Amino acid sequence: MMKVLKGLFNTTRPHFESGGRLEKLHPLFDAIETVAFTPALTTRSDAHVRDSLDLKRYMTFVIIALMPPFFFGIYNTGYQSHLASGLNLGFVPVMMQGAWVVLPMLMVSYAVGLFWEVLFASIRKHNISEGFLVTGLLFPMTLPPTTPLWQVAVGISFGVVIGKEIFGGTGRNILNPALTARAFIFFAYPANMSGDRVWTLVEQSGQQAVDAVTAATPLALLPLVTAGESASRILGDAGYTFQRLFIGNIPGSVCETSALMCLLGAVFLVLTGVGNYRNMLGGVFGMLAVAYPGYLIYLSSGGQSATMFSVHPVWHLVMGSFAFGIVYMATDPVSGPGMNLSRWIYGFAIGALTVMIRVFNPAYPEGVMLAILFMNLFAPLIDHFVIKARLRTRVPNV
Amino acid sequence: MNAIHLKKGFSIRIAGAPERHLHRLNTPDHVGMVPEQIPFVKPRLLVEEGDSVSIGTPLFEDKRNTRIRFLSPGGGRVKRIVFGPRRIIRQIVIALDKDEPCEAFDVPTVEQLDAIPRQALVDTLLAGGMWPFFKTLPFMDLADPDTVPPSIIVRLGNDEPFGPDPVVYLKEQEDRFGLGMDLLNKLCDRVVVNLTGDESIGSALPDQAVIQRYTGCYPAGNPSVQLYRIRTGSEQNRAWFIDGQDVILMGDFLRTGRYPVQRIMTVGGSLAPTAEHVSTRAGVPLRLMCNGGLAGEPAARTIVGGVFTGFAGSPDGFMGFYQNALNLLDDGDREEPFGFIRPGANKPSYSTAFLSAFRRKPFPMDCGQHGEVRACVNCGTCARICPVDILPQFTMKCLVADEVEEALAHGLLDCAECGLCTYACPSKIQLREVFQAAKAQYYKEIS
Ligand code: SF4
Ligand code: SF4
Repeated sequence: MMKVLKGLFNTTRPHFESGGRLEKLHPLFDAIETVAFTPALTTRSDAHVRDSLDLKRYMTFVIIALMPPFFFGIYNTGYQSHLASGLNLGFVPVMMQGAWVVLPMLMVSYAVGLFWEVLFASIRKHNISEGFLVTGLLFPMTLPPTTPLWQVAVGISFGVVIGKEIFGGTGRNILNPALTARAFIFFAYPANMSGDRVWTLVEQSGQQAVDAVTAATPLALLPLVTAGESASRILGDAGYTFQRLFIGNIPGSVCETSALMCLLGAVFLVLTGVGNYRNMLGGVFGMLAVAYPGYLIYLSSGGQSATMFSVHPVWHLVMGSFAFGIVYMATDPVSGPGMNLSRWIYGFAIGALTVMIRVFNPAYPEGVMLAILFMNLFAPLIDHFVIKARLRTRVPNV
Repeated sequence: MNAIHLKKGFSIRIAGAPERHLHRLNTPDHVGMVPEQIPFVKPRLLVEEGDSVSIGTPLFEDKRNTRIRFLSPGGGRVKRIVFGPRRIIRQIVIALDKDEPCEAFDVPTVEQLDAIPRQALVDTLLAGGMWPFFKTLPFMDLADPDTVPPSIIVRLGNDEPFGPDPVVYLKEQEDRFGLGMDLLNKLCDRVVVNLTGDESIGSALPDQAVIQRYTGCYPAGNPSVQLYRIRTGSEQNRAWFIDGQDVILMGDFLRTGRYPVQRIMTVGGSLAPTAEHVSTRAGVPLRLMCNGGLAGEPAARTIVGGVFTGFAGSPDGFMGFYQNALNLLDDGDREEPFGFIRPGANKPSYSTAFLSAFRRKPFPMDCGQHGEVRACVNCGTCARICPVDILPQFTMKCLVADEVEEALAHGLLDCAECGLCTYACPSKIQLREVFQAAKAQYYKEIS
């Protein structure tokens, strides 16, 4: 089997080498070949031995960590769609429906993203970086199931080109490319990205939807809380219990709804050392640090003021895409800071900002996305000060 | 004895640790010098092919300071001088006579040692070719004979895999070591023996010696790291260091008045026919060191020195002036199907991304790069592993942007050149090489 594969690479390689017909596509060939076979590179000089971990494995592990929310997302998307459309709720039809929605988005995202990667790689004459595999997967996972495929294409193009390549490619980008893509289509096509109707794909063929099911997402309900009302009751009326939010069996972006699945991914990332727990915990603390005082004010006023804080702080952790964002986006090492202390600060600020955006600016219920992008910009600055403080303790040596 | 424990760093669990028993190698019929591998020195040849030399005849001197001379490790005839590009001297090969003639040097007796002025002692060491055994931190150039260092570090035990164990080379050499220590004490008021490895050797050392023990992971035995851990002010930065075995050579030199050529070395690594200590002489041919074991292993890499900082020698090469270790590793020159997703129970890693994290046995390691070079993704692995708290990813970026001052503030000169950052970087960036080059460049500018 391996021999056959190797033979295939060996016979096709000449076309991709300089002078070959497909010379321009060499980065693509190289990317595919090195996935199949880790190349036989040896150390040129010292250190003679090298660790077994490389960037391919590193990025692959992010993708593995994304699998729980991915598969759950496929199921949930299909389930919500069939539920709203009054169709069969059996496992297989639901998975089929979910796959029918999610996989085309994924394929468009990868195909278009790969096009740009190959283009820039062959212009710049470098290899395709594995980071793209993560970006191309992350982006469609954050979209509403009703997103038209052409918007997926536009979004990923923006993310890859503006979010990454104009900075010089992976490693030099300041913003997380998947989030850049997501934010771009959020602002460019608001009609498709917000409102109550986008979160569930309703099949016209089914018996027509029951209105209650296409109802607002939990975050969209928050601003509706008025004095004397309780958020938990409003959410509860809409059928959102804490448990349900935690499991993620609700309408929402295709793969972002389940905090539980993100938690599984987080455990995997932390155990393998690929994702940093400081960013994640910092985010949780930041969120609670803002939400708790607000909640206490709400309680002490007898429910009369600060109604936007009326939801129990812990609920914030499972609502919207916070869990997904903090586990998979806020841990992106390239767009985040590099010092441990900075990571705490960075995570904390993301959590705090997320709550603030959620409660003070209901026009953008997806606060975590903006919070992370905003903190991406500040990551180098945080590092700058943390490093400066640390260098002061060194005994100088010049 | 309060040990200083090194937590940051990493000990690779590599197979092929040399046994402690000592194997006496056959006498070689030729020995050699590899001037190319002596950092910073600008050699000027003092012999030609065909000249007869004795043990202790100067072969070349350092153009920067002609009082520093490197002596012949054998007596006989200069058989060959191999030049590389730009007339860099690759090898000086000396065919040995049966009865090797030997130069005699005028050395002070043990009694005279107390009274002799420091300068006279320095001159004796310069003449006797013993001076190059002293090196200065942080650049690791030869020590300057005209300065008095803030301290001299005796590195007793080098924990880079693999090198001679002081337990082996100190055996029955305690007096020579003691004599060597007396000599060091004449050169500097503050001489510290930095001990790694077996605590019991402490008892074999002279009573009045100042001993500091270091434990923990690699590179606890590296003098730069040791200095970093104990220094309190920047005036201590320019300490000298000398290897424990070379202190014995100093004692030997004082006792006999001859340039000492006996060495205890190790052969290690997973491809070593037998991983053991060997008793042999300076400049021994690598072929003899690995006992002909190389012939059967075309893919072996012969690493002269440790696996992090040594140089790759050819089978026709010789041991270096400073290296007493030969490590034979698989060259690792082969592809691996779907390497990125294998569970990797047998793949050593600093990370926890392989099942090998559960394995306790040593790994047969190879010289494969295990992945392709990529841009830095700011993963922070290098900063986590660096024993002297440099932030390699940021320091590297300073250097790439030509901000040398900034890099110096980051502690560039503290870099112990241990190679761990290069080892661990998942993007396979050769950080050590960058820092080594930057240090050397800066050194050139200030000297
Ligand atoms: S920067 Fe790299 S080579 Fe230098 S001391 Fe740190 S880990 Fe070792
Ligand atoms: S280990 Fe390599 S990729 Fe990671 S931060 Fe350091 S230099 Fe960058």
